[in-house]
Amino acid sequence: MAGDPLDALRLPVVPVDPRPEFATALHRRIEATIEGGADPGGRRDSPTVRYFVDDLELAVAFYCRQLGFEEELRSPPAFAMLYRGGLRLLLSVPGLPGAGAALSDGTVPAAGGWNRITVKVSDLGAALEALSSAGVPVRAGITRGIAVRQALIQDPSGNLVELIEPAEGYHERT
Amino acid sequence: MSTVSVRYIVDDVDAAIAFYRDHLGYLRLVLVAPVPTGHPGGGSRPMPDGTPQRPGGWNRFMIEVPDVAAAAEKLRAAGVRFRNEIVAGVGGKQVMIEDPSGNPVELFEPIRPEARLARQ
Repeated sequence: MAGDPLDALRLPVVPVDPRPEFATALHRRIEATIEGGADPGGRRDSPTVRYFVDDLELAVAFYCRQLGFEEELRSPPAFAMLYRGGLRLLLSVPGLPGAGAALSDGTVPAAGGWNRITVKVSDLGAALEALSSAGVPVRAGITRGIAVRQALIQDPSGNLVELIEPAEGYHERT
Repeated sequence: MSTVSVRYIVDDVDAAIAFYRDHLGYLRLVLVAPVPTGHPGGGSRPMPDGTPQRPGGWNRFMIEVPDVAAAAEKLRAAGVRFRNEIVAGVGGKQVMIEDPSGNPVELFEPIRPEARLARQ
């Protein structure tokens, strides 16, 4: 059977391997769509941080009342799970079963240290004023960093939380 | 959605970047080395009372893995330090590794659905 006479005019079909960078970008976009969807409940793989706190009730009250976290579940006296936007914060009590249990060499985890979560606010001065008038200890007042203004507050167990207010040149991956 | 940010104090930023490069998913991890008072990078300057910031402590971010034993074996073979052996808790199995500065990172294998690193 004779070929379609128009075949001579058609461009040849050349198989093209998908470029890896395209695939990566597409993958990232799909994941961003899943993550940033209208239903925050559909979010997966929430970035999760564990903080050690000495008093679970005080800590839950602090993070929910002062910093806008929501309580997801609580299993007193050892554990609570909170959310704020995309962040999941686990609170564990040192010395109790679970993540707070002593290591095999007897070392018991403790609150404190310098590593911390960052909470972005639009008006750092106002946020800090509201927090200090609520009795929240301020570890370091407002300083200017690179493209941010920042301050450090403490939770009731002495864990740090960093407040940042974006300034000119602020960057984060979108 | 807004990015989730965690700041870790490290002794050597390059070594920390090399350590973390392959392990980060949705988390923005800000790695900073301690700087002197007055340095323009404000996040790791000493406190107003002079106290310097140091790596370490127990607060940490978590990485969910499907098989914590397999992940631990791979990391151990790569020379990564461990702070404990695998522990089975209520929600899952976990083990703590250390970055080159001694900061903890928790590897977590959920054994019940509500413990997964995702909101149900």
